Amino acid sequence: MKKRDHQDSCSSSYGGDSGGPSSYGKAKVVWEDELDASGGMDELLAVLGYKVRSSDMADVALKLEQLEMVMGQEDGASLSQLQNDTVHYNPSDLSAWVQTMLSEVNAPLTDPAQSLQTDLDFSSLQNYVNAESKQTQLRFSDDSEYDLSAIPGLAAYPPRSPPPPPMQQPEPPPPMQQPEPPPPMQQPEPPRNKRLKTAIGSSSTNPNLPSSSSSSSTVIAAPESTRPVVLVDSQEAGVRLVHTLMACAEAVQQENLKLAEALVKHVGLLALSQAGAMRKVATCFAEALARRIYKIRPQDPLEATYNDILQMHFYETCPYLKFAHFTANQAILEAIGTTNRVHVIDFSLKQGMQWPALMQALALRPGGPPAFRLTGIGPPQPDNTDALQQVGWKLAQLAETIGVKFEFRGYVASSLADLDPAMLDLGSPEMETISVNSVFELHRLLACPGAIEKVLGCIKAMKPKIVTIVEQEASHNGPVFLDRFTESLHYYSSLFDSLEGSGLSPDSEDMMMSEVYLGRQICNVVACEGPDRLERHETLAQWRSRMGSSGFDPVHLGSNAFKQASMLLALFSGGDGYRVEENNGCLMLGWHTRPLIATSAWQLSPTVGNQ
Amino acid sequence: MAGGSEANVNESRRVVPLNTWVLISKFKIDYKLLRRPDGTFDRHLAEYLDRKVPANANPVGGVFSFDMIINRGTSLQVRIYRPSFEQEPHQLSITDLEKPVDADIVPVIVFFHGGSFAHSSANSAIYDTLCRRLVGICKAIVVSVSYRLAPENRYPCAYDDGWTALEWVSTRSWLRSKIDSKVHIYLAGDSSGGNIVHNVALRAVDSGIEVLGNILLNPMFGGVERTESERRLDGKYFVTLRDRDWYWRAFLPEGADRDHPACNPFGPYGKSLKGINFPKSLVVVAGLDLIQDWQLSYASGLEKYGHKVKLLFLKQATIGFYLLPNNDHFYTLMDEINSFINSDVNSNSE
Repeated sequence: MKKRDHQDSCSSSYGGDSGGPSSYGKAKVVWEDELDASGGMDELLAVLGYKVRSSDMADVALKLEQLEMVMGQEDGASLSQLQNDTVHYNPSDLSAWVQTMLSEVNAPLTDPAQSLQTDLDFSSLQNYVNAESKQTQLRFSDDSEYDLSAIPGLAAYPPRSPPPPPMQQPEPPPPMQQPEPPPPMQQPEPPRNKRLKTAIGSSSTNPNLPSSSSSSSTVIAAPESTRPVVLVDSQEAGVRLVHTLMACAEAVQQENLKLAEALVKHVGLLALSQAGAMRKVATCFAEALARRIYKIRPQDPLEATYNDILQMHFYETCPYLKFAHFTANQAILEAIGTTNRVHVIDFSLKQGMQWPALMQALALRPGGPPAFRLTGIGPPQPDNTDALQQVGWKLAQLAETIGVKFEFRGYVASSLADLDPAMLDLGSPEMETISVNSVFELHRLLACPGAIEKVLGCIKAMKPKIVTIVEQEASHNGPVFLDRFTESLHYYSSLFDSLEGSGLSPDSEDMMMSEVYLGRQICNVVACEGPDRLERHETLAQWRSRMGSSGFDPVHLGSNAFKQASMLLALFSGGDGYRVEENNGCLMLGWHTRPLIATSAWQLSPTVGNQ
Repeated sequence: MAGGSEANVNESRRVVPLNTWVLISKFKIDYKLLRRPDGTFDRHLAEYLDRKVPANANPVGGVFSFDMIINRGTSLQVRIYRPSFEQEPHQLSITDLEKPVDADIVPVIVFFHGGSFAHSSANSAIYDTLCRRLVGICKAIVVSVSYRLAPENRYPCAYDDGWTALEWVSTRSWLRSKIDSKVHIYLAGDSSGGNIVHNVALRAVDSGIEVLGNILLNPMFGGVERTESERRLDGKYFVTLRDRDWYWRAFLPEGADRDHPACNPFGPYGKSLKGINFPKSLVVVAGLDLIQDWQLSYASGLEKYGHKVKLLFLKQATIGFYLLPNNDHFYTLMDEINSFINSDVNSNSE
């Protein structure tokens, strides 16, 4: 290419530059049309979302040509096959994509009975119904098939009825039906409880909340920090409210508590004049700021049961948790393939809402379901009830009704850092396919130095086939309080906005509990510090970096998962605003263009072993 | 004639740089996967394959962006691009995003992305990049509109959304130029976006909203008749008549043909533009675009009605030439757009 004159016109300061159109003509911008900022990638294409090495460009072009030839006619058989049967992975990697596409066309169609693309939930039912028709475009006018309550799996538990008669199975009955579980299934609970009761909450509280984080766990900075902001309508009063909130946070940052106090009161007043999401967000943030200013102790983090209940309401109100479970389950399904035995370790079992859907899909697997073992981890209960066992019991009942061999074990731990793989009674990789699942749990480890490293090491020691992680897509763990405040303000504004879009009555229990659920998170992000500040959300980019340097390789979630997640969202009223996005093989769910949660999947790097 | 025969491939390879060829060919293949013979569209796969970028309130290259939902009913969203401020605070606060413009004259470009009415959105990487460049080049604020797409949303949805966006922009106090407390609005768009520009400008006539200029970049027009350029260039440079027909069928009302005025504004059912207050237009035509005859007729049609038109004909340009800054046409185009907009700025401030 011809050389061009330099002058980066984009960065010239606004309004103060060297004149008009004619001078621009001379001042052409230089963009490297050759490499080489990052590993020989073509920079121009990289900006547009495609990673191609300059040295591969000609080869990619050739393959695109071939692919075009092969696709041929607009209504030909090859095209049809590519349209209907191909699952895409990582569309950014052009080289890999075009290879895959070419091999799809050249390879004969695999026998559907052997297909590993087990679909979840309604989709599998849908395929069953539309077996003959090639109709992949679903018409949502037919409501009956998409009635959420009718979809097995999403209805969390079997109806309360007398216990089912013993199944006609050669295998011994599931351990849940016996009061004293047989030894291989479970170890006696009480001693373990005591051993693991290292309470994080009982560590010394922090009376002096510094304005900046004192956490010494490494904060991994995202390679390029992006602040996606989505606003909804600009109203004068709303702007004043935000302005005041920001000013208050800034005063707190500067430890000007007198000013902060005055401002937080003002915010309270201003919030009253708002309606809807804005009012709720402002109120939550004002309360959190007040707690910080007045050094009111944070809410007791050990109220685990209460939080579980809150989360269930949140689960009902909006699709974030469902998306998390759905996409994680999809990744698990794709990873376990034709194995006979699956062992899932759930880092926070809570009410076990993720597992009915997976079990349902396992039950429908062509060739029959694998045995399903679930190890659910959860915190100790203040009243010493065995919440984990109760969940396990319910899941066992479901398993029985759908014909899946099921084993459950509960593992009580105050912190994931207390986990010891030896206690989990893991089978060898030849015997069982192990899957580790963490939904909104890992970020809490960042409150304690060394914890995340320990847990990642622990995961590696488990030798899982797949690790599924869902985290909030936000930068709430930066070192500067004001930045955290700003970020979380944007984040929770979008979240609350999406709640509003859900169409639920603002007075409904689900709605109110969901707001309390989110409000507690906000309080934690804003009012807490040190080991008490558990909601240390980090972005996908940061998690990627961490996982990559800890010995994990990404496993890509493909277009199949994307498509089904999108269809799932469309079922939600107010589903209009939700967006699924593909990001280098991970899936993100957002409200309009603001990503809010991200699902990623991982496997051990081949060279792992140097833990 | 099928687009994809070896001769055609060699032809298109000769006239564009390799990475451009790869990019446009990738789109071509993707889009073919998405268009089903029965007229339906694989929207989920489209969303999956489309490379998107988030808005970024952190300035990059002197530009920051943020998204805004301007109509809850239709979830109409725009992405706003602004030049970064001279004194940058530690981090742009949410209240800075809509800070009133500070100069005598700030052009506001309402941009409609292309994609033949069915593809892309404001957060598509190709369009996000283009809009960012426009900010720097024209010293303008750009408002990129994610209008509703066909075939799920046919005519006139895209135009309705365009109109909503125009109205919204015109009523933002923070977008007003200091010199006259008015928003200085230009409409711009490529492909289907160019078509939307025309139709929104038409609706704006007599509405009290002043549009200072239209910029139509390879605008998408057509008609029942097959023109000479269509016959000559069918399948030669990435685009086939067959796919053009598919998109019109997807956008136009069911049962309408390509002489519908949305497709053929100066055709048998077209409206007269005589004596109306229509903005000046910059019409950019790529010499290797098969629909150029329609685009050229559009330009001469405007002229016949006495409206000001600047025609930029780029003989060796293909579709999508403006997506990558690796060719002369790109720079020529940017110069022209800049002149088109800022000649007003200069004459106003004299």
